[in-house]
Amino acid sequence: MGINRRNFLAGSGLLGAGLATMPIFGNPFVRRALANIGNRYLVVVFLDGGNDGLNTITPIDNGGGTLRQDYDAHRTTLAIDPGDLLVLGDDPLSGAALGLNPALSGFAQLHAASRLALIQNCGYPDPNLSHEKSKQIWQTASPLGVNTGDGWLGRGLDLHGYGSSEIPVVATGDRIPGEFAQRSTGVLTIREIEDFGFPADDELAGDESARREAFASLYASAATGGPDVLRYLGATGTAMLGATASYPPLHDAYASSRPGFLEAWNSLGGEVAPQLREIAKVIHGVNSGVPGVESRFFHATQFGFDSHASQGRAVAGGWHYDRMRDLGDALALFYDDLEDMGLADDVLVLVWSEFGRRVQQNANGTDHGTAAPLFLLGGAVNGGTYGPHANLAESALDWGGNPPYSQDPADPFRSRDFRDVYGTILKHWVGLDEAALLASVLPPDPAGLDPNAYWTPGTHNFDLPVLAGA
Amino acid sequence: MGDENSVLSSGDAQHFLRRTGFGARPAEVAKLTGKTRGAAADQALRFKPSRKSLGGGGDLERMQHRWFRHILKKRTPALQEKLVLFLHDHFATSNDGVGEPKLMSMQNRLLRMHAKGNFKELVKAINRDGAMIEWLDTERNEKWQPNENYAREFLELFTLGVNDANGAPNYAQEDIVQIARAFTGWRWYGRGKSYLEEELHDFKGEFPARGDKRIFTNRGGFGAPGREFDDVGEGEEEINRVVDIVFDHRDSDGAKTVARWFTYRLLNFFTHGGKQNFMSAKGVVDELIAASGFDANWQLDSLARALFVHDAFWESASGSPDDAASRRSITWPVDFVASSMRLFNMNPMGRWHMIPGGDWESVAVHMGRMGQRLLAPPSVFGWDWEEAWLTSTTLVARQRFARDLTTARWGGRKSNFRPDEFLDDQLTNPSEIVNAVSHACGVSGRFTQSEHDALVDYLSDGNPNASLDLGELDGNNYISGKVRGLFALILGSPAFQTA
Repeated sequence: MGINRRNFLAGSGLLGAGLATMPIFGNPFVRRALANIGNRYLVVVFLDGGNDGLNTITPIDNGGGTLRQDYDAHRTTLAIDPGDLLVLGDDPLSGAALGLNPALSGFAQLHAASRLALIQNCGYPDPNLSHEKSKQIWQTASPLGVNTGDGWLGRGLDLHGYGSSEIPVVATGDRIPGEFAQRSTGVLTIREIEDFGFPADDELAGDESARREAFASLYASAATGGPDVLRYLGATGTAMLGATASYPPLHDAYASSRPGFLEAWNSLGGEVAPQLREIAKVIHGVNSGVPGVESRFFHATQFGFDSHASQGRAVAGGWHYDRMRDLGDALALFYDDLEDMGLADDVLVLVWSEFGRRVQQNANGTDHGTAAPLFLLGGAVNGGTYGPHANLAESALDWGGNPPYSQDPADPFRSRDFRDVYGTILKHWVGLDEAALLASVLPPDPAGLDPNAYWTPGTHNFDLPVLAGA
Repeated sequence: MGDENSVLSSGDAQHFLRRTGFGARPAEVAKLTGKTRGAAADQALRFKPSRKSLGGGGDLERMQHRWFRHILKKRTPALQEKLVLFLHDHFATSNDGVGEPKLMSMQNRLLRMHAKGNFKELVKAINRDGAMIEWLDTERNEKWQPNENYAREFLELFTLGVNDANGAPNYAQEDIVQIARAFTGWRWYGRGKSYLEEELHDFKGEFPARGDKRIFTNRGGFGAPGREFDDVGEGEEEINRVVDIVFDHRDSDGAKTVARWFTYRLLNFFTHGGKQNFMSAKGVVDELIAASGFDANWQLDSLARALFVHDAFWESASGSPDDAASRRSITWPVDFVASSMRLFNMNPMGRWHMIPGGDWESVAVHMGRMGQRLLAPPSVFGWDWEEAWLTSTTLVARQRFARDLTTARWGGRKSNFRPDEFLDDQLTNPSEIVNAVSHACGVSGRFTQSEHDALVDYLSDGNPNASLDLGELDGNNYISGKVRGLFALILGSPAFQTA
């Protein structure tokens, strides 16, 4: 059995504060474990369109406040029946019972096993209601518009020190996700690993190697000079050529050693399951030590959360319900697959969306909103519900009818800035140094801004207890 | 520096054809070389507004293929279709949300009718377009609970942009709410016609708590002096008045906001998409507006002509592979596929629109794999341009298409690839053959010496001095396979992916 991060840290006494002063920090093996992602993996799942957080984690009763009552007042036709919700436990602040959307039985299962952290009321200052802008803000971790070029994980990769010939990231689909945008290293995009061979003429003797060679020269040459566009093309083609040799066999290796799981994956519907299936194949390959396959970061996207209209009821066939089910079932199977591979403790999944939906519904859907819950899952996650549910009382909403962002320490509904979650992941999972993160990856909003309304210096908390060891 | 009287070199002619159409055929290049920028622009714009639609029946894939075939036709004005593609991206609407290919066909026709027409009239028509009404939920926007979806994208993407060229916000959330109210009640019915259902419209006074609709009060909108509803009234014409008001909106420099934003978009499309930010492009944008009068006449053809004679359009014309200053633009998948097929006079095969080589797949499947499903952009933001077109997945897809196209030999005459028609079979020297193939592909002079040598090595199996016999190029033999492979490598090369 290999050392996984959780029992490694527990065994070495590296939990909690005071890390830097410990003598064990001088041990090169430990330093390596702390300075990079080691044998761990990070999977980012993006819910495109703005997921309705209120119909993802929903109050069942009022507890000591008016949460359910306020929810019912705003969600006149879209409210989920208290009896249908999957009980999560009590809201840390109001004591109201909270439940998961009935489609999320997969999440409920992970929650019961204490492998799912639900971080409520996540947002950022000056919330933007445009899909594009808000997505960009989450991807760049830059609400006020500095650092708009690179993604937060891209800057993390830079800091991590990957070389230009390495491919640490695989995104399923055909686009490079904004959070991984950077200049130093390769991001591979793949839809189906099986289908990723280099196209040559099968009927022409020796064509594949001859064509590969010529292709390699053309793209290597483009990579070495000339306009930016050509250099980008050259680097992409070079990385792609290598991957077309090393990645396609991963499918067969997975299929032959894990036929039961392959069948389970293929029986799942929806959009995100096939993507997580491909990611499972790559992780399986990395873990088996396949040469040329070293990815540690992954990205998948589920579309269709922009439920302005026909959001649907919480039953099969309901628009939002079906997407929740696809997501929950796929992530539950992903976890099972990894657990069966013995890797559940080494994989962390982050699920995010560019914003939540408006508290007040429209005729049969919901318009763009602000704060919403974030999800972390994996074997190293301390399961549970973190932070209070947003206050839904009419008087507490901002001019646009959304929960306001707050960093006021005296505010019981103080928001969780999403950068705290990113920082916790980068520090405790990717193994990057907190001071370096603040300097070059997650810089705070400028000092001088109202500290109650912004994430100003000193506000950050990269030690959220959501991860074992954090 | 040049102007509309500057004379085009053959490299300039290639550049103009590639940017304003689909690929540069050697014969077209020869014809355009020596003409002036102004003459080239006038020639490209010399087409009558077309009412061509993609037809009524059929599913999405059939619509996609009909559009693609229309693009391929020799008689179709190439610039017209380039503009329709641009407008399709600007007003990005997807059948994935609309679910009615017939409506998509009607919207496509609307864009074609207005491709070189009046942009303001086009926006008015788009407001009432059935596909758009369905796509962004105007269909579900009613007075009791206005739906903001369309109003937001209308301002953010179609007309104003979020911020102006100085970074100042152009509107507030409140403006979106008010415009959503003004758009309440519009519906489409069976044949795609739209109409106002008055019972669903938010008329003044019905919801006293909301007050009158007030838009950009400090910028001449409703609620500003002289802009009350009382003088004309609410209802059917209100949707047009919103457009008039939005087109009068002025940015923080006092310039017409819509004119600048749209000109910036068009400039990016035809020059080097998104490479230049709005603020640094402002100078060029203003020159184009001044030259065309776009902020008053809103004529797309005037704006396009102003762009095609402006230096900004020509600065990336250099064909030299070593020219670090030249800005290259990555071709869209539809452009890549159409350019390749136009170069070789090829058509997709049969009613399934197959490429009869390699994996035998339809044109729509090929383009979808490259990240472009026509009439089904990924979201209302349209496609991501430039570098975003090329990732490992989509680059493999382009290589697959190049391989399949050049091995197409089992279809009919019109859908087979016939290298003998583009190559002099008397050539024997591998280097000369590589030059001839580059010329046939419209990328002569775009390879460095080492790239050229790599292609020669491929063709000659590492014997650059060999003498090759091209006598049986149309057959299924080794040299034919090699020449086809050479074409595929060039179609798949960095030079051919960029315009």
